[in-house]
Amino acid sequence: MDPVYWISTSNSEPRTLYSQAFKDHIANPRNAGELPDANATGEETNPVCGDRLRISLRVREGRIEAAGFLAYGCPPTLVCGSVLTELIMGKTVAEAMLLTRKDLLEAVGGLPSRKQHAAALGIETLRSAIESGCSDLIN
Amino acid sequence: MAEARKVYLDHSATTPADSRVVEAMLPYLTEKFGNASSVHFFGQEARAAVDRARREVAALIGARANEMVFVSGGTEANNLAIRGITDASLSRTSQSNGDQSQKGHVITSSIEHSSVRGICDELEKRGWEITRLPAYAEGIVRTQDVRASLRPHTVLISLMLANNEIGTIQPVAEVGALVREERARGRQLWLHTDAVQAAGRIPLNVGTLGCDLLSLSAHKLYAPKGAGALFVRRGVRVISQNVGGHQERERRAGTEAVPGIVAFGAAAKLARDEMEQRSEHDRRLRDCFEAGLTERIEDIVFNGDRARRLPHLSNISFRFIEGEGLLISLDLQGIAVSTGSACSSGTLEPSPVIRALGRNDELARGAIRFSFGKDNADEDVDYVLEVLPRMVEKLRQISPLNKVSPMPNAAEGTRSQS
Repeated sequence: MDPVYWISTSNSEPRTLYSQAFKDHIANPRNAGELPDANATGEETNPVCGDRLRISLRVREGRIEAAGFLAYGCPPTLVCGSVLTELIMGKTVAEAMLLTRKDLLEAVGGLPSRKQHAAALGIETLRSAIESGCSDLIN
Repeated sequence: MAEARKVYLDHSATTPADSRVVEAMLPYLTEKFGNASSVHFFGQEARAAVDRARREVAALIGARANEMVFVSGGTEANNLAIRGITDASLSRTSQSNGDQSQKGHVITSSIEHSSVRGICDELEKRGWEITRLPAYAEGIVRTQDVRASLRPHTVLISLMLANNEIGTIQPVAEVGALVREERARGRQLWLHTDAVQAAGRIPLNVGTLGCDLLSLSAHKLYAPKGAGALFVRRGVRVISQNVGGHQERERRAGTEAVPGIVAFGAAAKLARDEMEQRSEHDRRLRDCFEAGLTERIEDIVFNGDRARRLPHLSNISFRFIEGEGLLISLDLQGIAVSTGSACSSGTLEPSPVIRALGRNDELARGAIRFSFGKDNADEDVDYVLEVLPRMVEKLRQISPLNKVSPMPNAAEGTRSQS
């Protein structure tokens, strides 16, 4: 994916610019919504800024068949939710558990340092969701 | 797909230069390029143009031409006003008792523009006492609070004429009367007002307002960026913050930006001539927009008093969603607005102005400013009313707030449903 997000910092006022790909995730979020037949759901809130992410998964035989997300917060949080669902669908639960903040950052094309918490929230929420499901999902 | 319509609803951020203003300015970039301080013909031509512009800008606020100091914009005007007055007060104190350490007291509001807020914060670090008055739920400071905050060593009150985010008009004339009353008792007290947002949108008169200093910016009234002015009432001493030449009667060193100043003058004249029709136009579009939105979208909150505000501006919080996401969604549809959300300002805290109204973080983060201008048409309102509800609905659909729990503020652990 092309870089979707970048930042230029003038002396005192950091300005944020968004690429078309980034804006497209905002305008057309992928897999938005709560899965009606989810068997694993997690929700996390960033205690600092209040951003919130909710992920629901449908897992069959150790593989993530479908994923949905709900998000409140700044655009990087929304985009991380959208990109994350694309990233995990089709993966085994074990593979998904191995995903790191860095993987998600890479998938969204990078985030400026002060926005990287959005990717951290994504990974944290994914793990909460998986752990909420039956432990045998992992196997 | 057809080229999307472009609708600019961010006139409080900046306005396009009027073609008549550009036309007046252009000769001063080329054949009339002189330095207004030069003695020769070229210089005198520029000097005459600056003086004409000075009269026009003064006329916009009912001031005398020699009370206007041209600067680079609203921020510099605000900086010069507050620093210039407080520095002058320090030098008076040290002259009378030799004590430089004795700092004064400044009264301001909690909803000032960052260029006023920042200077006040800085003064505070240097030992000044700062009182920041509340603006209450309606976004308007109360004159009795100003009166109650006065101390023997208060030297300056800085209160904006109209707020830049929500447009609420502050009781500057009432405070001006109070200041004159206090001064009649021999007190050394001055009143500064930041009129950057108000100028050209509502009638202004420094006599009626009773202010000693007033800040203006050219690019908010259909002139290019780079020029502004500070009104300094005759007899009020401000210490220049620029060191150099003798321009602007020793109050602002630096070669006058002649083209920008000429444009400012032309724009000020047009603003005066056309104020009534512009305000009427903006108000009609704004009211039509607000009425249409109220019919189409639920869970919206209007920020600031809806009667006592500038005619062109509307600030609305959309519940359950964050402003920056909505701003981007609208941008993709060709609609330009502003948000007070933290993302836009580059800080973690959402708009201090919306917070000052007592709104929670969710409402502060979901606040969007729509500001209309003379070139907007009825079709622009129709288009926004068609697009905006869809964008809000889309973001609300992906928001967990209206589905799971309403507030994002409290940190929560994992919520599992398996």
